[in-house]
Amino acid sequence: MASTACFMIVSRNDIPIYEAEVGTAPKKEDAAHQHQFILHAALDIVQDLAWTTSAMFLKSIDRFNDLVVSVYVTAGHTRLMLLHDSRNDDGIKSFFQEVHELYIKILLNPLYLPGSRITSSHFDTKVRALARKYL
Amino acid sequence: MDPANSTLGRMLLDEITPVVMVLRTPLVEESSQKNQFSFIQMLSPFCNFNNIDVPVRTASDQPYRLKKFKLRLFYASDIRQPNIEVAKERLNQVITDAGEKDLSNLCSEPLQIESVLNSSQNEFLPSWFQYFNKELVRTVSFSEHEAFDHPVTCLLAVSSRDEDPINKFVDLFNINQLPSLLNDGSMDPKMLKHFVLVHDGVEVPLERATKTLAEMRSTFGANCCHLLCINSSKDGSEEHENLWSAYKTDISHGQQLRCFLSSDDLDELKKFVQDLASKHIIPHMEQKIRLLNQQVSATRKGFRNQIKNLWWRKGKEDAPENPAGPTYTFSSIESQIRVLADYAFMLHDYELALSNYRLLSTDYKLDKAWKHYAGVQEMMGLTYFILDQSRKDGEYCMENAFTTYLKIGSSGQRNATRCGLWWVEMLKARDQYKEAASVYFRISGEELLHSAVMLEQASYCYLFSTPPMLRKYGFHLVLSGDLYKKCDQIKHAIRTYKGALSVFKGTTWRHIRDHVHFHIGKWYGFLGIFDVAIKNMLEVLACGHQSKTTQELFLKDFLQIIQQTGKTYEVPKLQLPVINIPSVKVVYEDHRTYASQAAIHVKESLWRSLEEDMIPTLSSKSNWLELQSKMLPKKFKESNICVAGEAIGITIEFKNPLQIPISISGVTLICEHSPAVSEPNANNSIGEQNGETSNKSATSGNFASDTSSFTLSEADVALGEGETVLVQLTVTPRAEGTLKIVGIRWKLSGSLGGFCTFDSDLVRKKVMKGNRKSKQSTFDNLKFLVIKSLPKLEGFIHHLPETVYVGDLRCISLELKNPSKIPVKKLKMKVNPPRFLQIGHKEDLEVQFPACLERKNSRQSSLRSTTDKVSDGIFPFPEDTSIADGTPISWPLWLRAAAPGKISLYLSVYYEMGDISSVMTYRTLRVHFNIEVLPSLDVSFHISPRPSRLREFLVRMDVVNRSSSKGFQVHQLSSVGNEWEISLLEPTKVLPSDFLLAGQAISWFLKLKNCRSVTDQDSASSICPSEKADVNLLSGSEMLFDLYSSPLSEFHHYERVHQRILDQEHEDAVDFILVSRSQSEENERANVFSHHICHRSVRTSSPIWWIIDGPRTVKHDFKEPFYAITLKMIVHNSSDDVVSIRCNPSDSAVNISSSGNTSAASGNEVGWHDLSLSNDIKITPDTPGTRVVKPMSSDTVPPFIWSASSSTHFTLEPLSSRETPMEICVFSPGTFDLSNCSLHWSFSSQSNQRDESRTSSGTCQGHPFYITVLQQD
Repeated sequence: MASTACFMIVSRNDIPIYEAEVGTAPKKEDAAHQHQFILHAALDIVQDLAWTTSAMFLKSIDRFNDLVVSVYVTAGHTRLMLLHDSRNDDGIKSFFQEVHELYIKILLNPLYLPGSRITSSHFDTKVRALARKYL
Repeated sequence: MDPANSTLGRMLLDEITPVVMVLRTPLVEESSQKNQFSFIQMLSPFCNFNNIDVPVRTASDQPYRLKKFKLRLFYASDIRQPNIEVAKERLNQVITDAGEKDLSNLCSEPLQIESVLNSSQNEFLPSWFQYFNKELVRTVSFSEHEAFDHPVTCLLAVSSRDEDPINKFVDLFNINQLPSLLNDGSMDPKMLKHFVLVHDGVEVPLERATKTLAEMRSTFGANCCHLLCINSSKDGSEEHENLWSAYKTDISHGQQLRCFLSSDDLDELKKFVQDLASKHIIPHMEQKIRLLNQQVSATRKGFRNQIKNLWWRKGKEDAPENPAGPTYTFSSIESQIRVLADYAFMLHDYELALSNYRLLSTDYKLDKAWKHYAGVQEMMGLTYFILDQSRKDGEYCMENAFTTYLKIGSSGQRNATRCGLWWVEMLKARDQYKEAASVYFRISGEELLHSAVMLEQASYCYLFSTPPMLRKYGFHLVLSGDLYKKCDQIKHAIRTYKGALSVFKGTTWRHIRDHVHFHIGKWYGFLGIFDVAIKNMLEVLACGHQSKTTQELFLKDFLQIIQQTGKTYEVPKLQLPVINIPSVKVVYEDHRTYASQAAIHVKESLWRSLEEDMIPTLSSKSNWLELQSKMLPKKFKESNICVAGEAIGITIEFKNPLQIPISISGVTLICEHSPAVSEPNANNSIGEQNGETSNKSATSGNFASDTSSFTLSEADVALGEGETVLVQLTVTPRAEGTLKIVGIRWKLSGSLGGFCTFDSDLVRKKVMKGNRKSKQSTFDNLKFLVIKSLPKLEGFIHHLPETVYVGDLRCISLELKNPSKIPVKKLKMKVNPPRFLQIGHKEDLEVQFPACLERKNSRQSSLRSTTDKVSDGIFPFPEDTSIADGTPISWPLWLRAAAPGKISLYLSVYYEMGDISSVMTYRTLRVHFNIEVLPSLDVSFHISPRPSRLREFLVRMDVVNRSSSKGFQVHQLSSVGNEWEISLLEPTKVLPSDFLLAGQAISWFLKLKNCRSVTDQDSASSICPSEKADVNLLSGSEMLFDLYSSPLSEFHHYERVHQRILDQEHEDAVDFILVSRSQSEENERANVFSHHICHRSVRTSSPIWWIIDGPRTVKHDFKEPFYAITLKMIVHNSSDDVVSIRCNPSDSAVNISSSGNTSAASGNEVGWHDLSLSNDIKITPDTPGTRVVKPMSSDTVPPFIWSASSSTHFTLEPLSSRETPMEICVFSPGTFDLSNCSLHWSFSSQSNQRDESRTSSGTCQGHPFYITVLQQD
């Protein structure tokens, strides 16, 4: 498992709707905003790359020092973004695919408004379990 | 785009030019200093040739003309590698200066991102970047591995004032004074020399100078000597265009120079430098290129040479590795090639340069001379760029050079920076901004401050890339800002963060927003620009998503800044605490007044239904003729009315979003009061104006609270972690007019004021929707019309218990007080629910309770007719009641806890004003209170008819004490109504003590007799209750309560009403009242409890009661054949109709039904029932001569026969009885059951039949009646 990993789901309006620190490294106070900055900046790259390929998984698209950003763009242009420091493309791809399934399940919930924050604790637990499994 | 015109192109044409080493005597310097110049500075403006137009030939004899050319002049002492520390210092100074300059913009608002995007690159980029970059590039000049900084020419200047100028010239070029680079062999000391005699026109006669010149010419050669006349102007007042402003940084524009240079001097200077360049330097370089080229061609070009070279270099591989790479002297062939390439570059013969650079790079690579290699690669890249061919190769070379420089360690760092800067410019020139940004990012190295500048430049590259990468722009600005902060360049840090703010403004990425706002706020705080600091800090206060420590940090720093200001700030959008505006509740009193807080929270509809009948209805009274409509201006018809001197209360919800407690103090309302205007017409305009001013003041936060017209309450709240607190505030208007509640203000942690207006959002909503209906919003509800002060009743309930037990009956008193002078009158009162609360009589206050309930001996008919009073439930106070001047009046209320649970009791008092002139004619006082009723005695009754008696019932009363701890004394049981008599079946007392303790149960058996008669019914309302309706269950106490006395009878009425709803209505029903007592804790008086059990059914299956009466035992001598026994049958009609009755003593019929009943119910029979003797008879001793006759045996002939009449038929009037004689004949001794006699009844008149449920006819089986006939001895 990666020692630093920050997973985030960004809605099509560039609003973060889910965020989770899934790394094993002890949480640092200033890490949260740094991760957000890196992921936020990576959106610029995603914006260009997303339309050049038909694949949903865009692999690692951006990097900052030793942190790499991998992105998975769903059909609805919701972006699953992972900031990580390990190179495990297959694991990350599987992780994204399974989280995508979870996300679709969330979308199927009639009480969930697409684009709003995901507050389901069940989703959170599942995502963390997947992170432990694949990353 | 022509590469030569790009930024990089111009930069290269500036920087990579021939260097002229200047050697001068102190007197030369002195002469030029008269004009406040150094010698070089004086010459510099003329060294830049835009169109020198010199014909040059390439090495292969291709002619071309040089257009742009430049010479760089340096003193010999400056020709060395710059001191790193000094350079660094200078660079830092550049940055600091730039920061100071920007101070004015520092406080301005961050730009809108659109305007940032629209602004052109030049106006947006800080101008000092270029200067900074240039300085940074210059820190690595005069390095030994590059040849373009090697001096091409040496300019020796001697003043005409010098003694023995010729010797001076010789001395100047003394080898010892030359720069070390020349001495240690990395530069070629043999260079073109040019001798100048500087002639100061004022001090020395020209003849002497010309003489010296001639001497020089003869000594050094005619071509290379020159006379330069300066300072020919006498008075020093010559004015020139600002030729020097670009070269002399310490003079500001427009400043007049005291200049001794005449225009002739200037011309001469110009001509001198041009001659130097075109006639000496360029030909010299050209010549050298030719020479070197030939040399290189001879030794290196061609296949044979290359093989030889490779072979030779291979042999060197065994040599020990020198970490700095091999050293090359100027005479080595590599250095020569480099010089050749650089000269070619400087003379714009790029093809030649490129081919030589290529040649050189393989050599250096093989030699592992990395620094030289990188330098050559760098130049190759630049040459590619200038030639505008093969971009890829160019970029590859730059990349290669950059990485190689980095590879050689810290010494290459600055070279790498220069290389990177050139690379960046190269990419920028080709609009590859994104790549340029990443190069900038790579340049940023260990030097924090330089990195900051580089990152900032990177961010601008992201901004100018197409499409603009704003997020990257913001991110890199933040990164750079952090570095600036680390280097104590706060102003720069703020500048970058401000740029980032325009990107991140309103972002939903909360950590980003918090970080940017917090830091920029903190830095503004450092600089003492507190208002902006506070504005930014405010954004991060409601940071519920942050960790607790971060929240603490934010709040602490924020409060620190507030403290530093030393002022109290008021801000409109303070997010701490969160105010839930939709939760705002307004409580005010118009004609409705409330006695307590509890009364306010009761639903208005409840009060309205309670007061429905009491208050005058609006529709009937307020027509257009009515006075009231005139007094109220039309405008305020819909606004709320409140009374001067009476508080308006507002409840607001405050929420703390943080995990740390915060304290809020001085929470007050913001109100506006405008005095009453007499003219209704003038109202409109003034009202509008008021509205406008209020809006203005709402934004600025300055409310001139006119304390004279209203008073405000203040509240302090401490909010815990994530707590929500309801705050109650009041405003009390003092004068008539209109009062508007605008908003609320508070102080956070005692230092920061915040305020919030209620209406702003709602008003905006209204405008947007354009819906007229939405006008009735909270906004309107906050506007009040204040009318003249009115009397207001205050009400208190005295002796109100909090908890009572079920059945508790007590007197509480309502105290009404009117503090005003104006009396109120026409008081009316209504209570709800009447089952619990009854209004007493004035005299009830004086009497002793519960003694007043005791039955007096001389009893008047105290049964008040309950029906007339309870019809509408409104109790009018006596006509003459009027309350004023604070004199209280009290009125008794009876409270009876009818049912367990939490009970809400409502009471409303209506009153009218004493003076007619007031706007409001009436008001109501609403009192509400709660009591908790605990369970006490649970009483149940089982009633069954008594078979052996006419119209009598046996009653079993089960009393269970359901209370948890309290003991009760069962005192009295009464049946209500005249027709009932009740008595104990047996007077024994089974209770071990007087009290029925908690959880205990007890049963009493009682006899109930119906004594209703026709006469009773006629005067049902007026008779006195019979004496026998009460049973004293407590021995030793003779006192009985009068259940028809005032409160009890009313309560009983409502209890009946209540219980009727629950039960089916029975005609034949009896009500019981059980009175119990207990010692109350608080006083010595005994509490009285009454338990009302109503509508206990006594209905039997038929309306007919009948019994057979006669002797039970007869003795007869059966010598006679039979014996006739005379019996009598008493039949009573308890119904209200005439019943026709047929008695049918059948001989054969057996009471199958009754015996069946008996056997079926014999198990767990409850209540009263017939016990069949047939079972018992078997146990009875079989006395001789006694024969048991089993009536069931149908085949046997009954041992008796009915004799007198076979069938009797008669009619009975309602509520009447009749006796009919009967007779049986017995033939032998024994016990006979006469129950086989049955009675048929039917209502005679069908018309009287009222409801279907009642059967119109039926058969009554006889009750068991045993008669024993004994043989008479």
